[in-house]
Amino acid sequence: MEFKEVVGIRRSIRYFDADRPVEREKIQKILEAMRVASCAVNAHWLRAVVVQRSEIPEAILDSLKTPVTALVQELAPVHIYCYLDTGIVKRVEGKRLKELVDVGALNPSHGWTHKFVDEFVYPQILVPFSEDPAYPVAAAFDCGGAGTQGLLTAVDEGLGVCWTAFNADPAKEMMDIPDDWLPLYVMNVGYPLESREAGGQRPRPPFEELYFEGKVGRPFPRDPEVVAGLEQEKMITTPAPLPSRKQEVRDLSRTLGLPE
Amino acid sequence: MALERPIEQYESVATWAHGLREQWGGDPLAEEPEKLAGLTAFCEFDGRNPDELLAFCFLRRKETGVRFASVKRREAMAEQLRAFRTASGLSGTEGRRLTSNLLSFFIHNGIQMHTGML
Repeated sequence: MEFKEVVGIRRSIRYFDADRPVEREKIQKILEAMRVASCAVNAHWLRAVVVQRSEIPEAILDSLKTPVTALVQELAPVHIYCYLDTGIVKRVEGKRLKELVDVGALNPSHGWTHKFVDEFVYPQILVPFSEDPAYPVAAAFDCGGAGTQGLLTAVDEGLGVCWTAFNADPAKEMMDIPDDWLPLYVMNVGYPLESREAGGQRPRPPFEELYFEGKVGRPFPRDPEVVAGLEQEKMITTPAPLPSRKQEVRDLSRTLGLPE
Repeated sequence: MALERPIEQYESVATWAHGLREQWGGDPLAEEPEKLAGLTAFCEFDGRNPDELLAFCFLRRKETGVRFASVKRREAMAEQLRAFRTASGLSGTEGRRLTSNLLSFFIHNGIQMHTGML
């Protein structure tokens, strides 16, 4: 699939084929996509633990669910539990920034040297940054970016995906999660039972409410020709609800024995 | 006898009917009589009418008086639904359909329940 089409066809899938396993190579591709994501100071805060749902004891699976995510977690054959490793900055002490210097990504043209990292960036910026209350928020932004690359790769592989919350305490115990990892979300992965369109592209706030130019309150102008081009390229697709959606949901509910 | 009047006349059943019509169109309670039959049977099994079943799932905060859906009460109701299914002797698809219809009653009345609880 073309990149823009992958973005356009992505949906949060909530009906999975619970009995159809996901190929290991596809799981690996999701993780590989996360690994090559852009990341501030090359820290790579995201950690992910892959768990086959069928291998989770029933009582533990129940304890991982939240009321509104329960069915998704129950149906998805693969769970990828995502965490933020808060300790990484102090453990690597700027080494990963120096790797970027070594490979020519960070250069003297922009003020970067090993000495700059060792004597200024690590002790004077990264250490205080990692102790700031806002640190997890900034690091979580990077985890979200990495997770999204994995998510889109899953879609490109023909899989369905849906981020959900999970109960952190039983998950920590089940997977031996270190104390300095913050729980983020679980990526539920499997083959969708829903159609590819899954009812159409979901409602979103108006473009002009979200994005500005120069100053807040001055919307970035939305060019209809660009929109038309993105429709051609299938990044912007038919908005939900598609006429067939209610029947699709009803049929899925009946097939799976779910409430209507 | 749990029901003191026709089941359709209970407010919670009217809310359910309205929710189903909004969601699916038509009049699902009229078109699929097993839905009301199942709720009637559950009321007889439990000893409470539909409005009482629903009211049981809510509590009020002592400090503010604000009503909220109680997790413990919801779990207790799920336990009752499990017991009802067992007593009905239905299993497999029939058993799931029976309890799914009852879950639908609670869901359309604002009580978040799912099949994994049963």
